[in-house]
Amino acid sequence: MDQGEVQSFLIVFSAIALSLAVTVVILFVLFQKRKNRLLKQRARDKEAFEKELSETQIEIREETLRNISWELHDNIGQLMTLAKIQVQMEESKSPQLEEASETMGKAIQELRALSKLINPEALKSLSLAEAVQLEMDRFNRMQFLKASLKVEGDTKPIDPKEEIILFRILQEFFSNTVKHSKASELLVLLDYMDGSLEIVAKDNGIGFEQKADGYSGIGLKNMRNRAKLVHAHLELFSEKNEGTQLKMTYYFVD
Amino acid sequence: MDLQYLPYVATVVQLSTAIIGTIHYRKYSKAKEKFFFYFLWFAILVEIGGAVLSDVFVLPNFWLYNLYTLISFSFYFFWYHSILKRRDFQKMVLTFAVLFVCLAFWNFTFQSWSSYHKYTFITGALLTMVCTIFHFWQLLNSDEILEVKYKLSFWISTGLLLFNMGMIPLMLLSSHLNFSEIQFYILIITLNFILYGCYSIGFLWTKEKYNRS
Repeated sequence: MDQGEVQSFLIVFSAIALSLAVTVVILFVLFQKRKNRLLKQRARDKEAFEKELSETQIEIREETLRNISWELHDNIGQLMTLAKIQVQMEESKSPQLEEASETMGKAIQELRALSKLINPEALKSLSLAEAVQLEMDRFNRMQFLKASLKVEGDTKPIDPKEEIILFRILQEFFSNTVKHSKASELLVLLDYMDGSLEIVAKDNGIGFEQKADGYSGIGLKNMRNRAKLVHAHLELFSEKNEGTQLKMTYYFVD
Repeated sequence: MDLQYLPYVATVVQLSTAIIGTIHYRKYSKAKEKFFFYFLWFAILVEIGGAVLSDVFVLPNFWLYNLYTLISFSFYFFWYHSILKRRDFQKMVLTFAVLFVCLAFWNFTFQSWSSYHKYTFITGALLTMVCTIFHFWQLLNSDEILEVKYKLSFWISTGLLLFNMGMIPLMLLSSHLNFSEIQFYILIITLNFILYGCYSIGFLWTKEKYNRS
């Protein structure tokens, strides 16, 4: 083997090796790129699907609430009103009947308030602060707990569709407070700032332990999904016996 | 090591790949890849036959390799024809096969049987490379790309592409370069390592559920 022979061998060998290596790299890059594109596409599809799903869920829920609201207002409300009139028609009213009539009046009032608060059409005509105030009044009347609302800054109109979602998130929180927390006080703060609205809802109940594994109940999950839908930032703090606090930041779109 | 045994290295690599393929046969027994496995054993028989002819009986064996070249590339075309899904790709592969067989028979008729028909090989190798690219194209444009490393056909195509890519210049230049036999073998064995390495990875990594189409 002379030197020229070795040289030409090495040249051929390296040329072949190089072209193979280049081919492998090209193949790898090509496949990787394509794969990433497909994965991204899938993630996007999934996100879109989930959004669609939450929107549909909300729609169904609102529809149900609307039906219940009508039913309460038009059917049960009418019956109660009729009952009240019937009692009042009684000429020789005993004190018991007077009281019953009064109770019925209260019931009708509650019924109307509830019907209004769950009816999406009625909510559309209210601002968020007004809607929350109605809910607070309802709690105060029921004497479950002492509820209060504080509004700071200049109120700004919010897209009714998004407003209703924010309100439903708050309602979810309130219903948890009423049902589970054994709280005696509920405080809501709406702080209108230049670009955003900060909503804080706080109770002094028993709270709950935040699960470390990230598992969250359906209620909390629903709240998060809805917040995502209106691009609001939602945080929930709670500690055993320290109460629960919901903090939500909604950004105005101009 | 005695250098005369060098050619056997390739056969040993081939044999171990076939054994790996046998062990993992279950994973692709329902797919078209199984034909590839049969073909692998056939190739080993040819290699051994060729070695026995020349080393034991000291007979010429070029006729065997010429026939093998025809059969192997025809098999690749058949195989790609069966795994490619696009009609136009299938038609192209069919055309390749016809072209190749015609050329092989032309060379059988007009060239000496005591030499290797390298232009048959070069044509077959080039056309096979096109087939592998068709197959890559198919993988790139399907959801299978997410699990490509589990697909045996991907590894087979990679091996074939790299092997033929290396072999074509070698064949073309073989008469112009005055390589000694050993240098030639080093190159061929390296390429064999790449080819059968790819097959082996494929056999080892493949999963049953990705070999069903």
